[in-house]
Amino acid sequence: MRRDSFAAYHPIVNFGYFVVVLAFSMIFMHPVFQGIALISAVTYSIVLNGIKAIRFNVLYMLPMLIILAAANPLFNHAGVTILFYMKDGNPVTLESILYGIASSCMLITVMVWFSCYNKVMTSDKFIYLFGRIIPALSLIFSMVLRFVPRFKQQIRVISVAQRSIGRDVTQGNVVHRARHGIRILSIMTTWAMENAIETADSMKARGYGLPGRTSFSLYRLDRRDQTMLITLAILIAAVLIGASAGENTIRYFPSIHMKDQSWLSAVVYTAYGLLCMLPAIISLVEELKWKFIISKT
Amino acid sequence: MEIYHIKDLSFAFPEQEKKALDTLNLSINSGEFVTVVGRSGCGKSTLLRHLKSVLTPHGERSGAILYKGQPLNAADLRTQAADIGFVLQNPDNQIVTDKVWHELAFGLESLGLDQQTMRLRVAEMASFFGIQTWFHRNVAELSGGQKQLLNLASIMAMHPSVLILDEPTSQLDPIAAMEFLDTVQRINRELGTTVIMCEHRLEEVLPISDRLIVMDRGAIIADHTPRAAGEALRAAGHPMFASMPAPMRIHAAVTRQGTMDSQRPLTIKEGRQWLQDNMLQEAAEPMEQIVSTGKTANPNPVVVQFKDVWCKYEKHGADIIKDLSFEVRRGQFYCIVGGNGTGKSTTLSLLSGILKPNRGKVLVEGQQPSAMKVRDLFHNRLGVLPQNPQSLFVKKTVELDLYEVLSDVKLSSEEKKAKVDQVVAFAELESLLAMHPYDLSGGEQQRAALAKVLLLNPTILLLDEPTKGLDAFFKEKLGAFLHKLRSDGVTIIMVSHDIEFCAKYGEVCSMFFDGSMIASNETNTFFAGNHFYTTAANRMARHLWRDAVTTESVITRCLNSR
Repeated sequence: MRRDSFAAYHPIVNFGYFVVVLAFSMIFMHPVFQGIALISAVTYSIVLNGIKAIRFNVLYMLPMLIILAAANPLFNHAGVTILFYMKDGNPVTLESILYGIASSCMLITVMVWFSCYNKVMTSDKFIYLFGRIIPALSLIFSMVLRFVPRFKQQIRVISVAQRSIGRDVTQGNVVHRARHGIRILSIMTTWAMENAIETADSMKARGYGLPGRTSFSLYRLDRRDQTMLITLAILIAAVLIGASAGENTIRYFPSIHMKDQSWLSAVVYTAYGLLCMLPAIISLVEELKWKFIISKT
Repeated sequence: MEIYHIKDLSFAFPEQEKKALDTLNLSINSGEFVTVVGRSGCGKSTLLRHLKSVLTPHGERSGAILYKGQPLNAADLRTQAADIGFVLQNPDNQIVTDKVWHELAFGLESLGLDQQTMRLRVAEMASFFGIQTWFHRNVAELSGGQKQLLNLASIMAMHPSVLILDEPTSQLDPIAAMEFLDTVQRINRELGTTVIMCEHRLEEVLPISDRLIVMDRGAIIADHTPRAAGEALRAAGHPMFASMPAPMRIHAAVTRQGTMDSQRPLTIKEGRQWLQDNMLQEAAEPMEQIVSTGKTANPNPVVVQFKDVWCKYEKHGADIIKDLSFEVRRGQFYCIVGGNGTGKSTTLSLLSGILKPNRGKVLVEGQQPSAMKVRDLFHNRLGVLPQNPQSLFVKKTVELDLYEVLSDVKLSSEEKKAKVDQVVAFAELESLLAMHPYDLSGGEQQRAALAKVLLLNPTILLLDEPTKGLDAFFKEKLGAFLHKLRSDGVTIIMVSHDIEFCAKYGEVCSMFFDGSMIASNETNTFFAGNHFYTTAANRMARHLWRDAVTTESVITRCLNSR
């Protein structure tokens, strides 16, 4: 797997970043903001997943965007700028068309951001973050991740063994198959409980249950992470100031209304653009740095 | 310093008359390497579990256990958790978390150490055990040997002063077991940790232990250095002597009593030297390098045939089986030996029709198993005993489980009963019928599973590592069963790591390497032709008698040459 530079930051940076950009892309419907968010999300997904992301975005996201945008005016007839009337007498308005495009853009952006989130926030990062809050929970997550694959493996072993005495789910008629399946699941339960005794012993033997349990992690909040957190904070503050000044919002119904553009809007746009493009910029800078270092040696 | 002092310890499980431990007296000093041996069910594990409070079983107890001069119960659980390390039998069951690094830190987290200390300890242990290369992996990707090493490392990270191990290598293959025992020895030697271990692999473990404790029916019957304890067993004529290392047994059978302790050979090296010094100098009869012909004089019809078989799991994956050809004749006991991942188990899967060859042909009595109906293949033809016999059981009691096999067979209930009774008598399961299959010991499970398979009247029996985790006593029993089956005309194909077992009971042995058969011959000739991959007795005596493969044959030669 390609290692992404942004993903190498501390989990709290990764997680915080995604919470913020997801929230912003859902709240801010202003076209410039939407454009920035969509382009950044798609760019970062391509940085993360390469050619696979392009295929995914073009094959699934693009058609979805078009369908959703086209569907809205069919059902939503609010707005003052009437373009024409449909056969059933309902009006098709400019506002509803634009609103359809905007809301589908928002949906797609959120989905693409989530695909990036999945790639960056691996299970152990997630476990780590929540382990800080509730240590027992992180252990439970970790144990689930350990035992689910293990049970699947054991079901396979039992199923192969049963096949050799003609008792597998792939053998016999429908009734037999069902019966074999239930039997395998039932013995699986027994097996799991039986083996859990030894697991419990091993946990007890290593002091599980003593008061004051801590949680070990491989992550450290270093200076780079701190710089990053401060940068994020500044950018977020700038965007929020814009929000409070009404720069980020738009009114669609009954008629479209946005605040006039000013020097403040330019600042807010830049801040939001930087915020959304940050992971992609980091990846690019790191790559250039790497090439530079390599070329020197 | 005395670490453990056990005074008159007796213990009985609830509602049982028989004492699992019977007035034990024992003292273990700091830094000792103590090995505890005995048949399954002799109370070894019960004794070990008494050495750590959280693992002590419930029951009737008398006597005292002192830990560093204080009663064990007086040491609080936090001290015990860190100070007394305990490694259990099954590598998989002991692992709790999903990542190697997390598992290493599990005990430290329980103790509530801070990040900085944990970081250091985890790093130290990962380096000591050579775990760095797989530090970030998921535990599911590890081999059995790696898993057990991880369990050991996770305990060592807590800096215990005593390490207790309960049959830690019984689920491992010989190479992984050697690596594990080497690590335990290193811990004892380099860190001075006291080691108390139950083990069946005496050949490897005795040379590294300081003390051997032999238990029988809950009592200690010998407690000396390994050499002296072996001698005591021999003098008492105790059956446990049969599981002592081959050099010791050969020496004891050939010489009279009264030899000094230090002269008794324990390792192959010592055994060789002793043979050299004491036996008539006979040059090993020159033997032409044995080239496998695969042809035996057996006139019986061929029942299993592999013709130029190739097999792989994935479309673009590597070939697991490469150009494999061999045949097994009716009534043969065919052993397949070889390292891990050489394709032995895949061969069994091909035979039982779970896999299809990509090229070539697999024939069972002239038909392709993957194309046969289940009924045709597994009734009255092929019986498969899986590596883990537990995976065959599906019912609450052994008896129900046996009847379950016959549920699809058209027989009257009397006939069924007669059949079950017959197989129960054969596998000696009478006393176990009402028990839950999971409550049986390893050897008993093996027998119950065998009985289950035998109910389908197989003429060809496939066994996948049947001796895994069995002690010498049960192995002998299994050997006897297989012998009985063969005399009834059953063909047996066995995959095994257990060279001694193959040498003793097998008829033809084949060695697998890199997906095909490298050598194949009659057992005796096969092992005589190998230099390294052969029995302990043969390695010890092959410079004098190359074809003396079993301990018994070496003993006979020794006595004859006097």
